[in-house]
Order: sequence, then structure tokens, then C-alpha cells
Amino acid sequence: MKTRGTMRTLRQARHTGSGRITARAAAAVLAGSLALTLSACGGDDDSDDKADKGKDSASTVPLPKLDGEKIQVAAVWTGAEQANFKKVLGEFEKRTGAQVTFVPAQDPIINFLGSKIAGGSPPDIAMLPQVGAIQQAVDKKWAKPAGPEAVKQLAKNYSKGWQDLGKVGGKQYGVYFKAANKSLVWYNAKVFENAGAQEPKTWKDFLGTAQTVYDSGVTPVSVGGADGWTLTDWFENIYLSQAGPEKYDQLATHKIKWTDPSVKDALTTLGSLFGKKDYVAGGADGALQTEFPASVTQTFTGGEQPKAGMVFEGDFVGVNIADTEAKVGTDAKVFPFPAVGDEPPVVSGGDAAVLLKESKAGQALLTFLASPDAAEIWAKQGGFLSPVKNVDLAAYPNEVQRSMAKALIEAGDDFRFDMSDQAPQSFGGTPGKGEWKALQDFLKNPKDVKGTQETLEAGAAKAYKD
Amino acid sequence: MTAQTEVLDGAPAAERSGLAKPSVASRIAGAAGGGFLRIFLIMVGLLWLAPTVGLLLASLRTPEDTADSGWWNLIGEPSQITFDSYSKLLDNSQITDSLWNTLIITVPATLLVVVVGSLAGYAFAWMDFPGRDWWFLGVVGLLVVPVQVALLPIARLFGDLGIFGSVFGVVLFHTGFGLPFAVFLLRNFFAEIPRELLEAARLDGAGELRLFFRVVMPLGGPAIASLGIFQFLWVWNDMLVSLIFADPGNQPVTVALQTQVRQFGNNIDVLAPGAFISMVIPLAVFFAFQRQFVTGVMAGAVK
Amino acid sequence: MKSAVAGGAEAPPAPHVRKSVTGTRKSLVVLFLLPALVLLGALVVYPIGYSLVHSFLDRSGNSFVGLDNYRELFTDDTILTALKNNLIWVALAPTVATVLGLIFAVLTERVRWATAFKLVIFMPMAISMLASGIIFRLVYEQDPEKGVANAVWVGVHDTFQESSAFPKAHPGRDSPLVPEKGGAFLTKEPVRAGQSALLPLVGVAPDEMPDGTEPAKAVSTDPGKVTGIAWQDFTRGKGAGKLGAVDTTESGYSGMKVEAVGADGKVVASTTTAGDGSFTLPKEADGAKLRLPASNFREAYNGVDWLGPSFVTPAVIGSYVWMWAGFAMVLIAAGLAGVPRELLEAARVDGANEWQVFRRITVPLLAPVLAVVLVTLMINVLKIFDLVFIIPPGSSQDDANVLALQLYRSAFSDQQPGIASAIAVVLLLFVVPVMLFNIRRLKREGRR
Repeated sequence: MKTRGTMRTLRQARHTGSGRITARAAAAVLAGSLALTLSACGGDDDSDDKADKGKDSASTVPLPKLDGEKIQVAAVWTGAEQANFKKVLGEFEKRTGAQVTFVPAQDPIINFLGSKIAGGSPPDIAMLPQVGAIQQAVDKKWAKPAGPEAVKQLAKNYSKGWQDLGKVGGKQYGVYFKAANKSLVWYNAKVFENAGAQEPKTWKDFLGTAQTVYDSGVTPVSVGGADGWTLTDWFENIYLSQAGPEKYDQLATHKIKWTDPSVKDALTTLGSLFGKKDYVAGGADGALQTEFPASVTQTFTGGEQPKAGMVFEGDFVGVNIADTEAKVGTDAKVFPFPAVGDEPPVVSGGDAAVLLKESKAGQALLTFLASPDAAEIWAKQGGFLSPVKNVDLAAYPNEVQRSMAKALIEAGDDFRFDMSDQAPQSFGGTPGKGEWKALQDFLKNPKDVKGTQETLEAGAAKAYKD
Repeated sequence: MTAQTEVLDGAPAAERSGLAKPSVASRIAGAAGGGFLRIFLIMVGLLWLAPTVGLLLASLRTPEDTADSGWWNLIGEPSQITFDSYSKLLDNSQITDSLWNTLIITVPATLLVVVVGSLAGYAFAWMDFPGRDWWFLGVVGLLVVPVQVALLPIARLFGDLGIFGSVFGVVLFHTGFGLPFAVFLLRNFFAEIPRELLEAARLDGAGELRLFFRVVMPLGGPAIASLGIFQFLWVWNDMLVSLIFADPGNQPVTVALQTQVRQFGNNIDVLAPGAFISMVIPLAVFFAFQRQFVTGVMAGAVK
Repeated sequence: MKSAVAGGAEAPPAPHVRKSVTGTRKSLVVLFLLPALVLLGALVVYPIGYSLVHSFLDRSGNSFVGLDNYRELFTDDTILTALKNNLIWVALAPTVATVLGLIFAVLTERVRWATAFKLVIFMPMAISMLASGIIFRLVYEQDPEKGVANAVWVGVHDTFQESSAFPKAHPGRDSPLVPEKGGAFLTKEPVRAGQSALLPLVGVAPDEMPDGTEPAKAVSTDPGKVTGIAWQDFTRGKGAGKLGAVDTTESGYSGMKVEAVGADGKVVASTTTAGDGSFTLPKEADGAKLRLPASNFREAYNGVDWLGPSFVTPAVIGSYVWMWAGFAMVLIAAGLAGVPRELLEAARVDGANEWQVFRRITVPLLAPVLAVVLVTLMINVLKIFDLVFIIPPGSSQDDANVLALQLYRSAFSDQQPGIASAIAVVLLLFVVPVMLFNIRRLKREGRR
């Protein structure tokens, strides 16, 4: 118990916000299974014990002897996530004899790396939460390509789609270690019960559910608008479902402009929620000052009168629910993002390891992170999804995690990665700029679809040109 | 307390001057306005205290209470008081390490500035060399250079020298930017030492080094104390320099707390007690050495 | 002690007198000066040169781009905002801090316990900007339940205008009520005496019902009068229950105003509902439409959006003033102590009132001190970073941007050393006048 208390004090729920992936199949599986008990999203103590008892998994990945070598790994993870990742690093140390230091990075990590690289002392490996950041790191010649050993592991363990996400200009740089499903809506079960509301399947039902919750006297949705990425996730889910994957890919690469009619439709749809009086907790002004973790906690505290009934975001919301007294599965439940078009969207994200300093030990760690051995260590702790195909599903601590993981693997290459994370950082990932800022302004004034489109396009044009 | 506080202008100036007592008219006016004035000042005082008190009280509540209502509810419900956040914080090695880092950055940076500044201050005050006063004016000119100007160039420079990220680099940076003020303050103070004193020492056979260590430094005590306290507070309270120049393992408490601010509401149980602990030392130094602090502030008014 | 202060203000008399008493050896001069000059040269002077050069170079630092970086400074919206905000800062923060400092210094001059007061005002100077930032994040919390600034503000506001009991109540599906301009609701159909009017609304949770609320029940009719009920047409766990009808567990709206509006738009009768939501109107109401006036639904005032885009810069300046007013106060108080009492007394004897004495004598005599305070604060404000970095939430960070913060971002997150250097040069240009002012002052005093 003690460890957990200590770990939690320095939590700074990292904004996993940035990662996302789409596994179409996931939607179906999730719908059924997530409503079941979902207790171990935050990496609880009891699961720690299980992990320790677990048998030494046989090594499936050849690693060199690295006695005396020292490397540093930087990531923005804090709290439970950091502790779990350190377990992974610990296993690597045990197997190779190398000494790995975890470097807690400030968020956003790209700023942190920027100052370290300016001073010429980057960490050996950084965990980057955005495809765009990998691209940027390569453009600036910070990143070093993965060696043949790591590439071999990737080929063996990853679907092509996941491998490609880590490639820039045909060369493999990133190794996706952690995945996230970002198409979930979490709700306060008590609020739904009091209101007699149902889990919706389509956007129309979703608005109906929202109205019912509103009629019962609770504000329907909580939006963490102070963090722009929650808003881009809203947009991306709607856009993917409404405009379809082809358009999604085109917009992600800026092959179509943000002034495209499909964007107008998606924003109008989003506006049908944001624009309704009293639908967003605290109003637009309040939402814009609510950070993502607070948007979760305010949905699951306050007894029968929480600040809101529902909050949208990825599987990692469970980590923040663990900060409240609500139990995932009973007090806090979840349904897949409703279908706006024909199919419900599944947007995913992930964190990739990227080598910043060429070294034998660095390459070896990259190789290790691409193996099921590494993934299983964290999988056992909960709060983790691995994109590795051949992770033993039994490693996941509960049914919900297992089904999410299964869905992710089964989806193969049929997924869509978070769009803003694919964009250049200055457009898709900087507080107060680009897409984040434009959608924050949109939240404040949801009628101004045209103006928002123009701002988005202007920002995108500038960022993609750079 | 009284003895120490008098620098912040102990006795009312009118009494101190010992000159003409206020006229009858003004005394009547004073009496009438006195009550109002008193209330006004008390209100302002409370207004000024409230934010800090708010932080203290927030740090003594559970994060759940803080998420629910404002800190002032603690006054009505003292049972809410808990030291949980503090005990958790002291178990949190990232914070305790960072407090230690703050100390091992601050102390050397203060000492270095005092030593190097004294040497230069003495040279500018009492040594002969060509263009002495011009050099000094040059140093004075550097007083107002914003630290931000140096961030990028020095990051590159330290990178090339291999000291980027180290405590030494941070200390060096603080020393560099503390020096103009140090030289300015000490040179002016040393220059006021009566010439006769130095000459007498010289006649006793003291060399320049002996003169410096045995006569000038002791006499310069008050100015050195002011400088030391000023620099100490400046370095202790810095965030920006360490944000860039300190590796995560070397980061001081300000930077450690800063990483928590983006999720303000959810990290309040770290931020409030952390901020308060980080304030304890500077406030203690401030109350213990107000005299020197005020002197430093006034002398540094050009900074 | 005083000498150090004086040192700052007056500088030594006639420097040429201070010839070395020993006849300095060259090597010794070098020994004494070299550490300081090396450190200053490498850490302070070199960056100035570096910034100057790089402000004309491109991102890679290899090719000359002329004034492109400077042009970017004055065309990029984000940087322009930073520039504009810096000007607001420089104009506002030093002035307000100095004025407050002056007021405090003058007012406390004759107060016996002035010391305690000054200590309180001066104390924030010892606190880090980071801690102040955290302190003021708490102060400016939007929710009036949590942020003290809004708690006070809303408290003051609500003494003038009370909020109502049912801010979120609204008509449900197929309601007989339609919204009117201004937030009131009106029945579609006129009511008749001897009939009972149903006014169903939704959106008020049971916990939020006012005291004295009772369950709603079917209303009896009265031949000579219009009766009716206003209630929460929502059954816990079942949604609307029977739509537009009073179900057993539904609550009445207690204390809601009901008006009968005649065909000409005039209010012909009005009443307030009982605990169970029922009401009775006299027969004048026959044929009128019923209105639930907007005063029933007035939103609770939520205070000022301190950290929203429009107020964020003044709000952060407020936290700065909190920190630095004490500085101004202490310097001005020291200056005040030097104002000759005889002059003030003479003026009083001549019949000048306190205000005239202050305005005509004290302030002019203090002018040099005020100038020093203002200039010092301006320099300080120019490089403001921490507070702006800490206080604004992500959504208004851009609206609060200042040059120092933008420099940090350009240099490290955007990786645009050219632009960062150009901003550095602009900051330097801002301080050059002060640099010269300081030097001239010293030279003048030196000559005296």
C-alpha cells in the first residue's frame, strides 16, 4: 500500500492524450466486455504481487551481454506508469547487465529533448507519444535508425501497420511499445441510473442520452478543454466515423484542406453537442480551464450530483478514475464512441521508443522493447495495451484488458492513428497553437464553423510547409 | 522580532526626525482619519496575506476536500486538517531529492559570487590599472542584461564543454549572472573604506593580499552579507535557469514542482505542500536577515 | 549599513583619490580580476554577441537571412501577441506597483505598527515566482466555491442580485411551454377558470430542489379560479415517467413565480407556487396565458473568468504586483525618511492641507526615488517569465504570452534559434536606455 501512496503523490497523469490507434474490431468487443468489471486499469497493488509471483518468462529475444554499459531512457510517465515501465527496464538490466536510468521528462517531451539536445546531452532513448514527433526528431537529425536486430524483432512481432508508423522515409526509427484506444466514452453509472439513460450506439442516440441526463438535472458531458488534445480527439472520432478512413488519411497528411466540406460536417456535428446550452460542464469557459485529469475526476466525484455525467477519452481514463473513490466497472462504466456515420470510429494512439544516441546498449534496449517479453512485464501490471502480436494474452490481468488487447491485435492493420499526432508538432501538439487552439476557440464559439475551418487551414498550411 | 524588524522603518518618521510635532489641525485630522486609516491598512494587510494563507490551508486539506471547496472552508471545519500531503511528500524521493539539489546548487552559487565578486570589487576599488573606471562601468552596464538572452548560447556552449545538465553548469550560470550586481555592490562599499585604514595597515607591512583578507573583507562584512542573502534567495527561487540547464537528476525543487503544474487540479496535493516547503527556507532567511535583505534590495535597485 | 545603501545611490567621491596604497603589481590585478572577467565574458557578454549574429542567420545557423527573423517577429501572430503583452506589462505593472508602494509608504509613515504591515507587504518578495504562481492559480480558480477571488466577487455581486432556485429548469419533450425571449417560458394555450393548468419542466436534480419542496400531486379544480401546478416532470430512474402528467414520486417546484398574461401582453394576475408546486390564480386570469418569468431561472453568477483569454494578462500582472509592491514601498519609505520635515511643516503652517502637501512637496521631492523604482521594475517586468509560464491554463497560454516565454519556446520547442536570437536582441534593445542611464548616473555621481 505504501508504495502506491508514494507513487501516486507525484502522479502527473501524463497526457497519453496524444496517442491513439483505430482497431475497428475493438469497438464490438469493447461494447460487450468493458461494461463488465474493469478494475485494474490503474495498476493496483494486488496485480503487483501477481507479477512478482509470475514465473520467469523464457527469453524469446536474443540480447548481447552489456556489463558496465550505461544508458538513459526518457519518458513523461509518472506515478504507476513510471513504476511499471521501470520494471520493464529492470528486466533488461537483469538480462544484459547494462545499467538503465529512467529520466523523468517534462511534458511536452519534445521541449525537454530540445533543451537537452541544444546542450548536446540527449538521453539514449526517448519514448515519444506522437508520430509527428518521430518525424520531427528525424528531420532534425536527432533520431538514429533502429539496427538490424530491432528490425528483426519488429518484423516478427508487429503487424505492418504498426511497423510503418515508426518509419520515416522508409527507414525504421520508432518502436511502438505502448498502445492506447481513444474511442471510449466513460460515464457515471449512478447518473445514468437516476436518469434512466441508456448506452447509445449512434450519435443521434448519444445526443438523446445527453438530453435525458440533462433533464434529470445533471450536466451531460465533461470536457477537458484546457488540454487541446482532448478536443482534437473529439474531432477525430467524429471525422473518422463520418467522413470515413480514406478522407481521414487525406486530411491527416494535408492532402485535402481543412476547408473541405467533410470538415465542416464534422465540426457541425461536434457543435451540435458543444453548442447546446448547459451540455458542457462549467460551460465553455469552465471547460477551457479544466485539464484532462480534472475532467475525469469531476465526472466521478460529487455523489449523485457530479459536475457531469459522461467524459470522453481513451482507456487511460481508468488511471484517473483510480484517483477517485469510484470503482471502474461498477461506478464508472464505458461505451464505445457512438457511430456518427456507418461505422463507429476507433482511433488509437501509442508511445514509441526512439534512439537518440547510437550505442550497442541502446540498440539492444530497442530490440528488447520490440519483443513480447518486455510487453508482458507491463501487461501483467495492468493499464497497458501492447501492439505486439504474440504477447501471451494471459499476461493481461483481467478480462477487460485482455479483450481490448485482443481486439487491437485482431484489427491488424485496420486502424487509424490519432490524426493530430501525425501532424507536425506546431500544428497538432502545441498548447495554445494550431489545431489545439483552433478547437478551443471553437468550443467557445461552436457556431463559427467556417472561421474555425479557416483558422485550422491557415495553421496547417504554415505547419506542413515548414 | 522588534529588534530585527526595525529596518523596515521602525519608529514613525515624524518622531524619528525629532522635529516639529504635527500641528494641532493635522493632529485633529489625523485622529478623525486615524480609525479609518487603521481599518484600511488592516484590510490591505489581510488582502496581502490571504493568498499565502490560502496555499498553507490548501496544503493541510485532502485533495478531495480541495477539489470540492475552497481553502477557507477549513476555518469553519478545523477537523479537515491533515498532514497527509506533507508526509507523502517527504516520502516522495523526487521531491526530497530536488530539495537537496536546490541546496547544492544554491550554496556554491552564493559562495562563488561572493568570492569572485569581492576580488573584483576590491580590484575596481583599490588597485591601479589602465581603464579601471571604464571597465567598471562596463560591468555596471551588464547589470540589466536579461538572463533569457543567454539561455540558448550558453546551452550550446555548455554542451560543447560537456557540463550541460550538471550542477556545476547551473552554478556557473548563476555565478555569471550574479556577478555584475556583486561587483557593483562590493566595489562601491569597499571604495568607502577610509584610505587611512588601508595605509595604516600598509605601514604595518601588510601586502596587498593580506590587506584584502585582513582589512577589506572583514570591513566589508555587511555588504557581503547583503549580497550573500540576495544571491541566495535569487538562486533558491530560480526556475528558468535550472529548467534548461539541470538534468532531471539534478533538478531543484522549483523545476520538480513545475512539471506538476500542467495538471494543476489533480496535483494540488503535491503542489501546495511542495510550494510551501520550498518557501520555508527563503522566508526564514528573509525574516532572520531582513536588514541585509532590504539593504541588498535598495542597493540593487538598478538591477 | 547605511553606507552600502549610500554606495548604491551616491557612489564614492572622486575615484582618482583611491590610488592603490601599495602600488599594485600587474600579476595581482590579473589574479583579482580574471575570474570575474572570464565568467562575465563567457556567460554574459558572449551570449549578447551570439544573439546578435544568430539573429541574422537561418535555422541551421549556416546562412545569412538578413532581416527575415525580425520580419517574422512582427508578422507572426503569436509573437506579436507576446510583444503587445510585454508592452501592457511594462506600462501597467510598474505603475501600479509604484503607486501602491507610494500609498502604503505614505500612509504607514505615522502608524505605530507600520513595521508589521510593511513586513506583510514585503514578504512576497522572498517567495519564488513559481510558488507565487501556484498561490495565484489557487486564487484565480474559476469556480466561486474554490477560488477566493471569485468567491469574494460573487459574494459582492449576489448581495445586489440574487440568483434563483431553478437555473437549469427547462421544458422537456412535447411541452405545453415555449421559451420566450429573456429566459421566461409561456404556455402555448390560454388557460380557463375552472380548469387546472399543467406546467411541466425538467432539469432540476432532487438534491438541488429548494427547502420546503414537497411531492407534486394532481391539482383540484375550482370553478371560479385558475388552478395549476409547476413540477419536475422527471421520475428518478425512469426518465420523464408519464410525459406531461404528475407521477407519484415527482417533485413540485416550490416558490416559483407564475404570471397570467392577457392578450395585450399585460400581466393580469400573478402568484407563487406552494411547496408541492400548486398555485391558484383569481378569475381575472381566465383566458390569459401563463408565464413563468425569467427571474425563476436566473443563472447563478459565476464570477469573472480570470484566466480566460481576455483577463489573463491583467490577472497575472495582479500576482506580480502582489510580489513587488513591497519593493516599491520599502524604497519609497526610505526616500520619504529623507524628506526634510521643516519643509512639510512650513507648508502646513502656510495653510496647505495634507493632500496639497503630498501633491506639491512630497511627490516632487520623491521624484528621483520614484524614477529609480519605476525603471527598476520596468527592467524586471521586461524579462517576466515564471509567472506567465505557470499561471495561465493551456487554453489561454497564448493569450498571456510574453517575449521571454516566446524566446524560450522558439529556442527549445520550435527549434528556431534565429527567431529566439532576434527576440533576445529586441529585449536587449529595450534595456539599452536603462543601461546608459545607469552608467551616466554613476559617472555623474563619481564626478561629484
